This record gives sequence, structure tokens and C-alpha cells, in this order.
Amino acid sequence: MRAQLRSEFAKLRSTRTILGLSAAMLGLVLLVTLLHAFSLSTTDLASRSGQVRVLVEGGELVGALFAGLLGAMSLTGEFRHGTIRPTFLVTPRRGRVIAAKTVASTLTGFVLGLMATALAAAAGTLALAARGVTVQLDSGNYVVLLVGGAAAASLWAVIGLGLGAIVRNQVAAIVGLCVWLLFIENLLVDSLPGVSRYAPGVLGRAITGQQTGTLHTPALAALLLVLYAAAAAAAGWPAITRRDVD
Amino acid sequence: MSSHAYGNNGPSSRGVVTAEPVVAVTSLTKRFGAFVAVDDLTFALEAGTVTGFLGPNGAGKTTTLRVLLGLAEPTAGRALVFGRPYQELEQPARLAGAVLESNDFHPGRSGRDHLRVLALAADIPPSRVDEVLDLVGLVAPAARQVKTYSLGMRQRLGLAAALLGEPELLVLDEPANGLDPAGVHWLRTFLRSFADGGGTVLVASHALAEVAQTVDRVLIIDGGRLVASTSLEELAGRGQTLEDAYLQLTTEAAS
Repeated sequence: MRAQLRSEFAKLRSTRTILGLSAAMLGLVLLVTLLHAFSLSTTDLASRSGQVRVLVEGGELVGALFAGLLGAMSLTGEFRHGTIRPTFLVTPRRGRVIAAKTVASTLTGFVLGLMATALAAAAGTLALAARGVTVQLDSGNYVVLLVGGAAAASLWAVIGLGLGAIVRNQVAAIVGLCVWLLFIENLLVDSLPGVSRYAPGVLGRAITGQQTGTLHTPALAALLLVLYAAAAAAAGWPAITRRDVD
Repeated sequence: MSSHAYGNNGPSSRGVVTAEPVVAVTSLTKRFGAFVAVDDLTFALEAGTVTGFLGPNGAGKTTTLRVLLGLAEPTAGRALVFGRPYQELEQPARLAGAVLESNDFHPGRSGRDHLRVLALAADIPPSRVDEVLDLVGLVAPAARQVKTYSLGMRQRLGLAAALLGEPELLVLDEPANGLDPAGVHWLRTFLRSFADGGGTVLVASHALAEVAQTVDRVLIIDGGRLVASTSLEELAGRGQTLEDAYLQLTTEAAS
């Protein structure tokens, strides 16, 4: 599988997709973080939880979304461009390809999540200072934010990969991820908070240490999100190894 | 295209000499729902031959090739490459190379990177990438993104990928499509020398005139069934051209 893993990293490095995704992600992180920091009242921003929220919503959510897109595109891109055929001709034991893609997506997702939360932490902290709010966060909060955000993104990359394995269609996978994370989960949070704490996007937020309302602790949230990622990989595996390739 | 190098790239030096046919398709059937794409198809390919795989659109040629190369599972029967199902070959790229579609590339990836990605997965040394680029005449545009390539250049890049592992079997679907006359001539010479060196070629095509100049044998299928398996010599002995035989067999089978 090491040969397949080297091949997967060479695939990532040899197109501009990853650059484009990173640039779009960082731009969105900046936008969301600054919008939060400058639209919330200073009273909201004065509390620790309000401050975590500014940093998390921009960093973790956007990082998880883009890591999910990256994981999905790792497979759907190959189906879209037809490179799945040469890929499977060279490695007909498809499990090796899926295993390599899982490892590559996990690591790349980790880096994306780290970049997103780091930018959100930096921009958010500066924005809070600019609004004259005393920053209540200690270094522990920042560590949980960065490590949690990176972990959540790496797990979301695997979820995206599993989704991509099942649907194969790139547009469907991208739209599905965006609609779920940005729309359906928000509806769940508003209408069924008891259920929403088990939703994978909300779990990602919980990992970064946003202890408000009904969220799980970061450790439990991480465990539950690992289960989601494992389920996505388990569902995606036969979808790739058993189904014909056109 | 460079014509000087092909003589060194045949499989002659490794010649696997076995009684086993290189390709053995036995009672192969592939159904999609109620539609029977390949119907009880049986054929074998011997080493050192170029075989044309002919048939009308929808006859089941491409489906057969996909099953043979492990991209699709047979409904019944089996397709073996060097005695084993393709999926069970330990280093398939070193035994078989294939071009199934003319555009299986990421448009934003360079030709060289496309080959590098595949070479890494197949544990083939990177120096081989430059060799096959030279072989198919793509050294100059190798660093350019594939989206700038013409159809003929894409065909040559696909062939370069198929040749990465110095395989003993080549499976090509319409390889001459989009090639200029010099490219067609080069391909014909290359396939001939590949087979003369002990290699085996299966080439699906509609270009009968080109096939007649290139192949030793033809397999003609229609409606998923084999309607002819013959050598060009046998056809000539009966005073038939390939086109005569093809039109007679496939229209008969269709009506």
C-alpha cells in the first residue's frame, strides 16, 4: 500500500485542486470569523463561550467542510475525469487504493483543519482586540481549538471519502456535503437540539471545545465522530471494491 | 514520434514461454439487468500475435475488455490473463497494459505527472516515465497540462501509460482514433515489432482498413456473441477481404 500512498500524494501535488481548495477555505475562514467578531455585541463577545464561538464557527466548520470536499473529490474526481480506470488497471486490488486514499485524505484533512483553525484563532483574536474586548481564552483553549479542529477535519475527510465512494458523482457529493453541514445541521440544532448533538458536524464543533448547551465533551465527541468516519469508510469500501467501473 | 526506440521496448527479453494462452476467455457472459452485453463468449490469444477485436457499436467489445481487465465482474464464465483473473495479478502493470478510453486524464495534470502517478503506484522507476515519453514522442509537451493536448497526443499519452511496466500484453480500444497518418504508421510498426518480440496485442477497432494492415487474426462479435475467429490468411484464401467478411457476418447476425 505504500506505493499507492505515494501515488495518492503525487496526485494531490500534481494539480491545482488542493491550492484552490486551500485558498477558498482560508478566504471563507477569514470572512466568517471577521463577520462574527464584528457583528456580535461586545457583551456577547466578552464571555469566554462567545469568544470560542467566534473562533470555532469560522475555523472548525469551514475546515471540516473543505476537508470533507477534499476527501470526496479524491474519488469523485477520478470518476469524473476517468482516471479511475488507469488507477484500477495499475492497482486492481481496489482495497489498496481505498486504504491509500483514506490515509492521504486523513493527513491532508488534518493539515486543512489546522490551517483553518489557526487562521480563525489569529484573525479572531486580533478582531476581538480591535473591538476592545479582553480575550478570555487561555493557551489551553487555543490548543483544543487547533488540535480539535484538525482532528475534526481529518475525520470529515474520511466521511467525505466514504460519501464519494457511494455516490461517485462529484457534483452530488459536493452539494450533499454543503447542504448537510451548512443547512440541515443548522435546522437540526434549532429544532431538535437533543438529536443534533449527535450530528457529525455538531460533533466536530464539540471537539474544538465549545462547551455550550447540549454539546458533548471534546473527548466523547471525538470518539463519536471516529465512529461516523469508520461507518462512512465501511459503507464506501464495498461500494468501490464490489461495483463495476464503467 | 521517435521511431528509433521501439525495438528496445518489446517484451522479447523476458518472453514468458508457457503453453498457457496469454488471454483465455471462457463462456463469458455479462448482463446489465435484462440486457445481455456479452453472451457466452469464448476465445484465447496466443503470445506473439496481434488480434483485431471487431464488431458493431454495442456488440460488447468494450464490456469484454472491461471484464478482462478487472473493471467489471463477469455474470458468468471467466476471463483469465496469464492464467489468472486480472484482479489477482500481483504486478499487473508488468504483464498487461491497456488503453480503454482516449481521455482518462485529469485535465489540469501534466502528461509527465500522469505517468509519474501511475509509475509510483506500480513501483516502476521514474526513469521509465522519460523512456515511454520518448517512445511515444511526447517529450516536448510532457510538462504541459493535458487539457492543452490534441486527441492524438492523448492517445499517445494513454499508450505511454500502458507501456510503463514493459508489459507482455497490450489491450487497446480504438488506439488509432485521432492519430495523424504518421502516428498511425508509427503505431502499426510499433504493434508489429511488439508482437514480433513475443508480445500479444488485442486491439478493438472500427477502422477495418487499418486493422487489415496490422493484425494477424480477427475476432468478430455481434450481439455479444462470437461470430468469427479467423486469420487474415484464411480470409484471403477464401478470396474475401476483411470488410467483405465483416459486413457479411455482422449483418447476417443482426438480421
